[in-house]
Amino acid sequence: MKIILPDKSSRETGPAMVTVEDLLRDLGFDPIEVIVSRNGTLVTEDAVVGNNDEVRIIRIAHGG
Amino acid sequence: MYRDPENGRHLCREHFLADIEIRVAETIRSRNLIVKGDHVAIALSGGKDSTALLMILTKILPSLDSVRLSAITIDEGISGYREDTIRSADRLVVRYGIPHITVSFPELFGGTLDAFLKGREPEACSVCGILRRKALNGAAEQAGATKLATGHNLDDESQSVFMNVLRGDLPRLVRDSGSDSQGRFIPRVKPLMFVSEKEIAVYLMLHGMWADLPECPYAVHALRGEVRRMLATLESKHPGTMLNLMKSKAKIEAQCGGLLMKETVNRCRECGDPCSGEICQFCKLKKSLKR
Repeated sequence: MKIILPDKSSRETGPAMVTVEDLLRDLGFDPIEVIVSRNGTLVTEDAVVGNNDEVRIIRIAHGG
Repeated sequence: MYRDPENGRHLCREHFLADIEIRVAETIRSRNLIVKGDHVAIALSGGKDSTALLMILTKILPSLDSVRLSAITIDEGISGYREDTIRSADRLVVRYGIPHITVSFPELFGGTLDAFLKGREPEACSVCGILRRKALNGAAEQAGATKLATGHNLDDESQSVFMNVLRGDLPRLVRDSGSDSQGRFIPRVKPLMFVSEKEIAVYLMLHGMWADLPECPYAVHALRGEVRRMLATLESKHPGTMLNLMKSKAKIEAQCGGLLMKETVNRCRECGDPCSGEICQFCKLKKSLKR
């Protein structure tokens, strides 16, 4: 699975399936402050990601 | 697509978008925020909240008779931040065909916010807040607006409730910016006050209107930043915390709001604007600004 972080850097992980919520907590993100897409589509925190998914984590900028 | 953390409800794209618009319409209706014949000026920074506000009002207001919309953008002069959001605001008003006024701190006050804040960065939010309020009120009057709509969301509003409690500022806690000027200011309305920051981000993303814009560089200095992180953690662990803070405010307001609202509104002896003392915050600040 390829994970793209808010700063646009990316990292590869193994194929293990994991919920978005657990993935975020492992990476140190609060689910309330980010949005996650899997292969270009928004997913909820209880969705399961892994295998060859491309997961993008987008930080919600405050203000505006 | 979207899971409501408070009740676990899953919504598809169409139902999520409809849910947000219905909730905003209900907030407007139940609180009489916008009524027939109003000219609503949207405070449009071009950031995510005001962008969503303009999109939602454009969609739902045609159901109200003869309501007009216009947009006001304030260029404070914050280098590396405001340029992008102003371009975004310019594109948005063209796309939606909304009349637009842009005013800048240099033209109104003789300098940029960056220049005013040299050496007093920790005061950034209060200095900017006073100047922005003055600029927005002036532009809204110039536009002939009867309401000034801002993009404050549930996160912003619950943070304000908490901050006012932390400061022990009960009068400000129950103050209603829509009616506290005794008719001397254009009332401010916040139609997104019950929509969370995350819901707004998802709304924009589903419309293909999400832009990865920078955060204000001065935000790091604010007490709000600490409160925001604390409340975000609480909301994650205990969904509904932010809404409960709003409910607490409403209950306090209902119980003692009237008792605390006896403060009379005077006219500033220097500029004539409404204020609670003899000189308004803007005139006090003006003297200390470096240009």
